[in-house]
Amino acid sequence: MVATPFSKKWWHLVSMLEIWLGILQGLGITLEVTAYGLVFAIPFALVFGVAQFLTTGMTRFLVTAVIEFWRSSAVVVLLFVFYYVLPVMGVTLSALTVSALVLGLNTGGYASQAVRAGLQSLPAGQREAGMALGLSRPAILLLIELPQALVTMSPTFINNLIQLVKATSLVSLVTLTDMTFRAKEIAQTQYDPVAIYSALLLAFFVVCYPIALAGRWLEARVNPERGTPRGI
Amino acid sequence: MGFNLDFALSTIPTIVGAIGATLLATVLSCLGASALGFSLEMIRRGGGAPGLAVRFLIDFIRSTPVLAWLYFLYFVMPFYGIRLGAMTVGVMGLSLYYSGYLAEVFKAGIDAIPKGQQEAARALSLSRRDTVVFVIAPQMLRNVAAPLGNYVVSILKATPYLAILAVPEMLGRAFDIASETYRYAEPLTVAGILFLALALIVAYGVKRIEQRLLASGRR
Repeated sequence: MVATPFSKKWWHLVSMLEIWLGILQGLGITLEVTAYGLVFAIPFALVFGVAQFLTTGMTRFLVTAVIEFWRSSAVVVLLFVFYYVLPVMGVTLSALTVSALVLGLNTGGYASQAVRAGLQSLPAGQREAGMALGLSRPAILLLIELPQALVTMSPTFINNLIQLVKATSLVSLVTLTDMTFRAKEIAQTQYDPVAIYSALLLAFFVVCYPIALAGRWLEARVNPERGTPRGI
Repeated sequence: MGFNLDFALSTIPTIVGAIGATLLATVLSCLGASALGFSLEMIRRGGGAPGLAVRFLIDFIRSTPVLAWLYFLYFVMPFYGIRLGAMTVGVMGLSLYYSGYLAEVFKAGIDAIPKGQQEAARALSLSRRDTVVFVIAPQMLRNVAAPLGNYVVSILKATPYLAILAVPEMLGRAFDIASETYRYAEPLTVAGILFLALALIVAYGVKRIEQRLLASGRR
């Protein structure tokens, strides 16, 4: 058969679709790591954000130290350190668990700062009103302060979530078959880097952009006076 | 096998020896990202079709991981016959990725300048270029100092991504030691501690500069 320019173009479209579908086979792992990551990120952000807000002196220093360890370390390095060091220490976790732990606590470290900032930005009158009503400190925190702080900070949490989804691309480096790993696998059998890596970027865009739009919508609702969402 | 502290200590000089590459990548990427980010924001502000295209580009960059961009540049450019060193490709990747974030920073910095400033410049019949250079940019700089400083630290923390492109920065050097000795835990722990220390030091330095800048701007 003579390959006309038309059929070539047609064939190229088919192979691009194949590549795209091949990359989407990794979507499951990408979402799985994100979901398990949130299992670590959300409790960490809440507990440590609140702890940093409430404590003083030595306790606050220790809480801050833990947050800074997770937040200020480079997440790439952190993932490798935990992936290779834990087995030496006698702790054997699956690559999925280690990835979820490291990426989750890194994201949780960032989000904890939003929790703390949200709590600090509340007027003192909120707490004083709670005290005047005879509420206990935990009740004031749970019923008055946290609900307001979490709503105000929700656009920031959305940004943190996007960062987490994007960071999951790192798990391809510790043998998990996520979208990035699939792209590299396909690249070994097909020499078409333009199609493969464009498809990879597009795949992440399709996952993250709707979340970003949701964040923008939230931002407009909870902070009408502030324009665009803040990046991390 | 256990963690061998002596071996860990012996890897410090080699890994610290690559700090130059880490810092070089950070500085170049910061400059590249700032220049590109500011240009993107200026085009976006200009409006029209280019403005819309750049608005989409910024959203696209912010919705995609830096690792995917590094692979994209690293594998696609040679396909078109462009052969550049790994360090160059890495710096280009980080610049591109962070330009999307810095464009937003510059946007917020410009939006915070009172409208009267631009109107006054117009009343004085300054050109658009002169308005940007002499009226907008100096005031914007004060507004963006704090977020820009945070991104310097973010970019520093993103430089170990370049190890994946075989750039001999600190993480790359740690992996070199690991593959030579078949011991991963020690060199990687050392790299982890060094990166954390470096990030904390740079964050502290950035905060000091920022305070000085803000103090000098106060009247």
